[in-house]
Amino acid sequence: MVLKDVLSEEKRSAFMLGNEAIFRGALEADVKVVAFYPGAPTSEILDTFAEALDSFDYQMEIATNEKVALEVCAGAAFAGVRSLTAMKSVGTNVASDTLFVLGYTGVKGGLVIVMADDPHAHSSQSEQDGRFFAPNAYIPMLEPSTPQEAKDMVKKAFEISERHRVPVLIRTVTRVNHQSGIVQLGELHRNEFKKVKWKELGEEYATLGAVARQKKLKMLERSARLAEEFETSEFNFTRNTGSAIGVVTSSVSYLYVLEALKMLKLQDRVSILKLGTTYPLPKNTVKAFIKNLKKVVVVEELSPYLEKEVYAIAKDTNPDLAIFGKNSGAFSEAWEYNPNVVAKGIASAMGIAYAGHEAIVKEAEQFKEIIPDRYPTFCAGCPHRATFVALNQALKIQAAKGQEHYFANDIGCYSMWIFPPISRGDSSLCMGASVGVANGLSHVIEERVVAVVGDSTFYHAAIPALIDAVHNGNKFTLLILDNSVTAMTGQQFNPSTEFTAGGRQGKKVPIEDICKAVGVEFLEVVDSYDVKNNVEVFRKALDFDGLAVVVSRRECALYGDRNKRSRGEKIVPFYVDKQICKRPYVCLRTFYCPAYEIDEDRQPRISPELCDGCSVCSQLCPIKSIKRVEGET
Amino acid sequence: MSLNIFICGVGGQGLVLLTTVVGNACAKIGMKVVTGEMYGLSQRSGAVSVHLRIGEDVFSPLIPYGEADILLSLESIETLRYVEYLKKDGVVLMNKRIMHPPVETSKIITSKGAKYLTVEDVVSKLKSWTPNIAVVDALRLAKESGNVRTENTVFLGCLSALEAFPVDENAIRESIEEAVPKKTLEQNLKAFDLGKKSAHDSLCTLVQCRQPP
Repeated sequence: MVLKDVLSEEKRSAFMLGNEAIFRGALEADVKVVAFYPGAPTSEILDTFAEALDSFDYQMEIATNEKVALEVCAGAAFAGVRSLTAMKSVGTNVASDTLFVLGYTGVKGGLVIVMADDPHAHSSQSEQDGRFFAPNAYIPMLEPSTPQEAKDMVKKAFEISERHRVPVLIRTVTRVNHQSGIVQLGELHRNEFKKVKWKELGEEYATLGAVARQKKLKMLERSARLAEEFETSEFNFTRNTGSAIGVVTSSVSYLYVLEALKMLKLQDRVSILKLGTTYPLPKNTVKAFIKNLKKVVVVEELSPYLEKEVYAIAKDTNPDLAIFGKNSGAFSEAWEYNPNVVAKGIASAMGIAYAGHEAIVKEAEQFKEIIPDRYPTFCAGCPHRATFVALNQALKIQAAKGQEHYFANDIGCYSMWIFPPISRGDSSLCMGASVGVANGLSHVIEERVVAVVGDSTFYHAAIPALIDAVHNGNKFTLLILDNSVTAMTGQQFNPSTEFTAGGRQGKKVPIEDICKAVGVEFLEVVDSYDVKNNVEVFRKALDFDGLAVVVSRRECALYGDRNKRSRGEKIVPFYVDKQICKRPYVCLRTFYCPAYEIDEDRQPRISPELCDGCSVCSQLCPIKSIKRVEGET
Repeated sequence: MSLNIFICGVGGQGLVLLTTVVGNACAKIGMKVVTGEMYGLSQRSGAVSVHLRIGEDVFSPLIPYGEADILLSLESIETLRYVEYLKKDGVVLMNKRIMHPPVETSKIITSKGAKYLTVEDVVSKLKSWTPNIAVVDALRLAKESGNVRTENTVFLGCLSALEAFPVDENAIRESIEEAVPKKTLEQNLKAFDLGKKSAHDSLCTLVQCRQPP
């Protein structure tokens, strides 16, 4: 996709990422307010809205967290304005307090919530199945399989939302968000953004006690109406009806089913029910589909959400139906599927021979024995690596004095400390939890607790835990790694800079000001690249008999490089002076920079294409053999 | 008919841009294309992969194991990481560039006798999977084009030389023009031409290519 395509007013086709198609669908639906907290695999929705911000008149926020983002959208929707938010699976947990209550209060303007689950935990701490939010909060849910369907469903979701006065969930999985395909663009008709008069709307959105009890009854009625409406939804359809064997599926699994049936040469011999509206489930549609089947295979990733419904419906409709899925052992609740996994499951359910893919995967294993792992790692020039080097040295010195440590990590690029060759971390849970658990640990363990949190994660969820620490007098060391942007998801702006979505002017909220305001007594701000100084500061922070906070600040290397390029500044790399280098390997042993390799003389060599010119390795070399190219210092 | 290309490399090498160029070109000429992209945590320096599928009868964004016609690898080591996707007699189109991850370098300095994996090691290993292995020095060609970051475009040139690659060269060129920053366009088009030419020197001795211009 290029921006020109997503913004095109022509009705034509374009190649789009699922996330771009979601953006396009919202734009075609004339969305007026959008708010997000970035999270893989949804970040490109935010990024596309930010990129297109100057071309349209919608209001956009990169909110401090998913709950705030949802509330921004709810506020707009209360006043009858269309709004959209998108969040990763676990982001929904943060937003869920508001999500549940919105089921009760409802909305006036269309409110669409994209929730992207991540089967296989490609970029998440868990494989949670967010579909259960829908029945639990009585909020309708649509599940697209392709970018085209994602666009169509987002558009439709706004209509459903307004017709039933309820937020609508679009539930995707990574393989839908990060799937690209050809999308037919629809009309792009935008109405002018206008403020509305609240008093004239006559709306109210309060719920509590007796009011909540009445609203609950209304909510049940609404779900019944939605279920009826979904019986005729174009998003539920069948293929090859009439076979005695059927497949019930949804989401990207539908595409795997089509591919698997092709692989098994069964295209015309199996009926398929593809469900797009998975809450409330169109039970009569399912009933009609399974009524005359002998066997049904339920193909869905993660939990048996549809499968349990199929069991329940079959009990009355077709008690002899043989149901294959997770319960039968044909499929697993673990990990994402692919065409081979689905082919194997369908073949086993049908009792037909399928050579499977184990042989080829096993054979390929031998090819991998000789290759090294390539873990995601800190970029060349990453300030986190420099902070880690200083912290590691400080921890070593402290350890020699008898101080032992617990290391609480958090969610961000610095999570990668847990991967080899660094491999450090006693815990890493979810956004902001490092500070929360540090509070508890500081009560019960003898070791000094070191918690680490990044700027964006600090604003997102760590501030309440910090206040808790100050208020309760808890003693631990907190490092706040401030690299100016939400780096891991693509360097989005956050309150650490004065920029808001689309690079517009906002107000900076300095982390140290927050720490001061809540009463942190030991507070230091350091430059992440200044390793020597930082070792001393970290040591003091580890020795401090109380809560010690150090803000380690230096902009993300990728973000910094982009700024340098736009200012026309050159990135001047470093090199190892072969005459001086005596191969103590301090650079390699402590720094693990991806710009480094060993040359034929077993001397370290810096790839000029990869070096970011950060200078940190040159500070570490005890014999000063690492120099800046062109003799600059 | 369909064409499945499994693309892999290291974060930062421009796999997604390469995919976008092919996808946009397909959209221009009305051809069905589906991709599945995996980058997640690996913005830079991690393993990145893209499943690129062209043709009317492709559905899944993931290529089934053993069904990729081409394994296009922008970094040598990564080729072996995904070999299960490649057809047994499929084509490997591999960059000569090797980027040693810190884990490997760390091992070299800590254990005596440990050696880096070489491009030759990778090729000799791959030979028992397929005889059709073309190694392209894309970094050299990218440098020759005047922009070291055009390795991805070099490979677009290579793909365009193949007879089995169903996307019109002009559509690819047009698509490059739309996708790359304006000031790098000339370098990218040069990289494309250099890639196409290099394919005629190596790749085309293994598989059917279009006539050189």
